[in-house]
Order: sequence, then structure tokens, then C-alpha cells
Amino acid sequence: MADSLHRASPLPGGTVTLEGATLSAAPEMGRYSLRARDPAALAALIGRELPDAIGACSGGIARLGPDEFYALLPAQDALPSGEGGPVSIVDVSARAVGIVVEGAGAARAIMAGCPLDLDRMQPGRATRTVFEGVEILLVRETETRFQIDVWRSFASWLWRSLAGVNAA
Amino acid sequence: MLLIHCPYCDEKRPEIEFAYGGEAHIARPHDPSTLNDEEWEGHLFIRSNPRGRHHERWRHIHGCGRFFNAVRDTVTDKFETTYKAGEPRR
Ligand SMILES: [Zn+2]
Repeated sequence: MADSLHRASPLPGGTVTLEGATLSAAPEMGRYSLRARDPAALAALIGRELPDAIGACSGGIARLGPDEFYALLPAQDALPSGEGGPVSIVDVSARAVGIVVEGAGAARAIMAGCPLDLDRMQPGRATRTVFEGVEILLVRETETRFQIDVWRSFASWLWRSLAGVNAA
Repeated sequence: MLLIHCPYCDEKRPEIEFAYGGEAHIARPHDPSTLNDEEWEGHLFIRSNPRGRHHERWRHIHGCGRFFNAVRDTVTDKFETTYKAGEPRR
């Protein structure tokens, strides 16, 4: 039964060239919303290290708030359910899709609609923020490469908006 | 753009990431069933509405998601300070 179910991406395929950057769809990924009052209990349960500071991202896990983490993992990686533990581990893989913005002009392209000062965002940082009126999760993977995670229903609008305001 | 310091993120962030949450330090009644109508009205609707220093709640909804408290001057719209929820009034 499950073999006949396919997840269709709301993003068009291919790459769009912007001024100094390219826009492409991120591969399918595993996404987990992680909550715990005691991050050490969560780290022990999933067997991974968690970033200490809010806004830090390491090993694919971003710390969004005091008790909230978000894991962006390769599609084949699964986390345990944490059943019975003082944590919440929820698979939200299908909730969002990723858009990769890459190139020397990537930060400028995103700042066209995002109010954060990306000149001050270091690589390895991740945060929830907005692009125009749409909530996004912004991960700065390197100086010139960002991944934007956005809920599916906003994704095609965000893609066209990024492509439109930054048309080369 | 107005920047607001989030005490959890420990960063100044753009106002558009935040949601206003009304006056701060309004305690819910311990035993609501003992309140008369006037006391209910006071709890639900009557606010201090000062000209000047106002203690108010904000939520970093498009950021860390936390509620926190702020002191803002209602005349100048300047934030004097922000502090975590649960900390004493400043
Ligand atoms: Zn915050």
C-alpha cells in the first residue's frame, strides 16, 4: 500500500539563477521537532550531541529555543520515538521542504525579504525568522550557502518570491 | 526598523518577528469562582494604560517562541529593558 504513495514536491525542479546566487530544491530530508526541558535527557535518548546556545546548529540539529530543537537529517536517518521519556520527538518530515540558496550573493538574495542582518549571522547558525509574511527556518551552512526550510503550503510562493525579487 | 532585544536569544531582533501580548504581571485569580462580576471585569478588561513606563508581554513568535516581559515607554516607543518570564517586575 505504502508503495503507491508518493510525496510530490511543491517546488519546481531545476535551478534558478539569481544575481550572484542559485536557487535549488534541497533533497528530501528527515525533520524532527524536538522538545525537552532537560536537553541532556533528550541528547541521551537520541544519542546525539545538542548545541548549547540558542541559534547554534551542529550535526544537523538546530537549537531554536530554551527547550526546542529541530533536526534536519539525511532522509534515511531516523530518531527514536522517545516514548516514556520526558521529551517530545515528533517526525515532521512532510511538513516542510528545503530551498538551497547558494553563491556569493546568497545573503543579499535572502535579505530582499528577510529582516535579519545576515552580515552578522555566522556560518553554523540557524534560526526561525520570516521572509516577507512567511515563517521560515534559516540555516547558514557556510558563508555562501543557506538552507531555507519552509512549510509546504508556503513553499511555491516563497520560491517564486525569491526568484522574482532577485531576478538576474 | 524597531529592534527588540529577546532575553532568550540574547539578540536584538526585528520587531516583525514578535507579537505583542498585552500588559504584564497580571495574575490570574487563584479561585475564579469566588469573584463577583466587578472583580471579573477588573481582571479581564481593566488595565493600567500608563503614559510612560509600561510593563508588557511580548512573544518572540517567529524566533525562539518564548514569551517574555518588556518595559516600554508609551510616549517615545523606546524599550527600556526586556527580561525573562517569571523574573520580578523591573
Ligand atoms: Zn527569542
